[in-house]
Amino acid sequence: MIRPRMRSILALVRFAVACGACALALFGVWRSVRAAQPAATATPLQAGKAVYEQHCAYCHGTSGRGDGPVAANLYPRPLDFTPGKFKLRTTETGSLPTDDDLARTIRDGVPGTSMPAWRGRMSADDVRNVITYLKSFSPRFAAETPQPIPATTRNADSASTAQPGQSASRVVQSVARGQAAYGRLGCAACHGADGRGTDAIASGMTDDWNRPIEATDLTEPWTFRGGPSARDAYLRLRTGMSGTPMPSFASAAADDELWDLSQYVESLARAPIWRMTAAEVAAFYGRQAQAWREDPVQRGRELAATLLCAECHTPVRDDGGRMEELQFAGGVRFRVNPFGDFVSANLTSDTDTGLGGVSDEQIKRALTRGLRRDGSRMLPYPMPWTSYASLTQDDQRALVAFLRTLRPIVNRIPGPSRPALPLYLWAKFRMLILGIDPPASIYPGNAGSRR
Amino acid sequence: MTARVRARIGRALRWALGLLSALALGGLLAFLYFIPPFNATSPEAYVRIEAAAAPPVTQIKDPAARLIADRGRYLVTTAGCVGCHITPGPRGPVYDMYLAGGMRMVHGQAGTAVTRNLTPDTDTGLGKWTDDEIKLVLRSGIRPDGRQVFHRLMPWPAYSRWSEEDRHAVVTYLRTLKAVRHRIPDPTRDTTIEDEGAAEAFYLFNYGVRQP
Repeated sequence: MIRPRMRSILALVRFAVACGACALALFGVWRSVRAAQPAATATPLQAGKAVYEQHCAYCHGTSGRGDGPVAANLYPRPLDFTPGKFKLRTTETGSLPTDDDLARTIRDGVPGTSMPAWRGRMSADDVRNVITYLKSFSPRFAAETPQPIPATTRNADSASTAQPGQSASRVVQSVARGQAAYGRLGCAACHGADGRGTDAIASGMTDDWNRPIEATDLTEPWTFRGGPSARDAYLRLRTGMSGTPMPSFASAAADDELWDLSQYVESLARAPIWRMTAAEVAAFYGRQAQAWREDPVQRGRELAATLLCAECHTPVRDDGGRMEELQFAGGVRFRVNPFGDFVSANLTSDTDTGLGGVSDEQIKRALTRGLRRDGSRMLPYPMPWTSYASLTQDDQRALVAFLRTLRPIVNRIPGPSRPALPLYLWAKFRMLILGIDPPASIYPGNAGSRR
Repeated sequence: MTARVRARIGRALRWALGLLSALALGGLLAFLYFIPPFNATSPEAYVRIEAAAAPPVTQIKDPAARLIADRGRYLVTTAGCVGCHITPGPRGPVYDMYLAGGMRMVHGQAGTAVTRNLTPDTDTGLGKWTDDEIKLVLRSGIRPDGRQVFHRLMPWPAYSRWSEEDRHAVVTYLRTLKAVRHRIPDPTRDTTIEDEGAAEAFYLFNYGVRQP
């Protein structure tokens, strides 16, 4: 009786094991098929397009023209890939960058701009694929094969990599020769004799897209687009920065001289505030305040950019992008429920519709006390004059000085409007008695009149 | 007392009551009409409170950090961070919870986003964020989880114009704020709208990019 039962149990077990093995094998096949599928269907170009639209298009635009929804709000602007002009290369001037150049820019980001380091946020495959995709924006990539410049030595001389005591005097000599080259090659014309742009063109230049561009402050290596090392500086000098006024000096100077010059640039670096002592920080802020007083327009430009002026005083398209031709010309409609519609003012210096006929004092009064020209009071929102009230006198003066330089744009702004009386009273009752905050809505489009 | 007298008194009382309620209603309407549109706070007081609400930096021991944080305080107070990141209360902004967030941003079909808690609270604020993570949001609008911050909501492109050193000062100051435990809900979508476009609008509005 026992043996047949044993046999049947054994048979059952065997059957179960066989079934399990089959299931496992099937599962394995299914998984490998599933894993293989995306690789089989998505080409690098398609995969790159997906990565690009997820991470890059917001700034660089789906067409690669550097015109994403946020592009007009950014300075420096996101790069336009279509002409094939890339700043950070290891290739001769006028050439395209190599894939490695592009990969390095993507992985390390571009300091001093909004381009972040994607290292850790994009896989190596993603980077490769997105490079394939962004090369498709410019026909040049299909026609040319960029070659890096011959490998250069001398990077062991870099002041940052030199060992203590070792070749220190050689570095000093190299820096001295570099200083001479700085004068001979006319670097000071744009970057200033001190590297900080003092008494130089520095600002007021434009790039190939006709947008304002400033000469890099050579004492702040943490803002160098291509990285802070002497080798990075050498590459910029040797290959130039396409699309910007920074030329290649390959024909004007020998390789050794460029290495000396990059050594000199590295020696110009100052300490950033996070490595300064209290006395140094105080002195630094003092110098800064002095410079701001001397050039209020430049300071006002910086303030206007960071105090969100253009955010509300420039009309917005339906897709969230800015109408650039109406920069600072106002016309954005806000609806603050109970109080009706408010349209942001025209800040340009147009006499009739802008601030041309408004006195400095009146501008400051509106800015810091919320008083309109007719003496009526602005709400504490959307115009955040309650925050601007904390601005120092110097900064208020600087802002006014900057606003005075804005090109006049005719854009007549309608006055505030109030909803029908019962609605107005009811909405105010909600706010003052029921304590329900009034929501504010922003509308795209220009509410001003261009005549 | 006759019934006629009683009726006359009743009528007079009703008249008086009617007059009183008409006066009260008229008074309320006049109050609503004439009172300036501020949450029971005059504009000057509003400015004073807002400027004083930012905690001073005097308690910082390290003199260099104190100077840097003071610059950060100037940037934070003038750039209007409180405009959105202050906690709304029943009687206007709650300045005791400086930059603890919680303000609702309604965007039509897209739904509602809520401003984040910027205080150094470990669980609900920026306590666990590294300096570089905060700076990355201010410079590139990218959250630590990789999601994009929509620039029409949080104007990070304007803050990307701060120099790296000013951004450092802002972060230094944010670190000195009083940690406030204030959990901010995730953005919510109006689920009553059964529209595919609404889901997309919500994603675009909150993360600035199309839904992957």
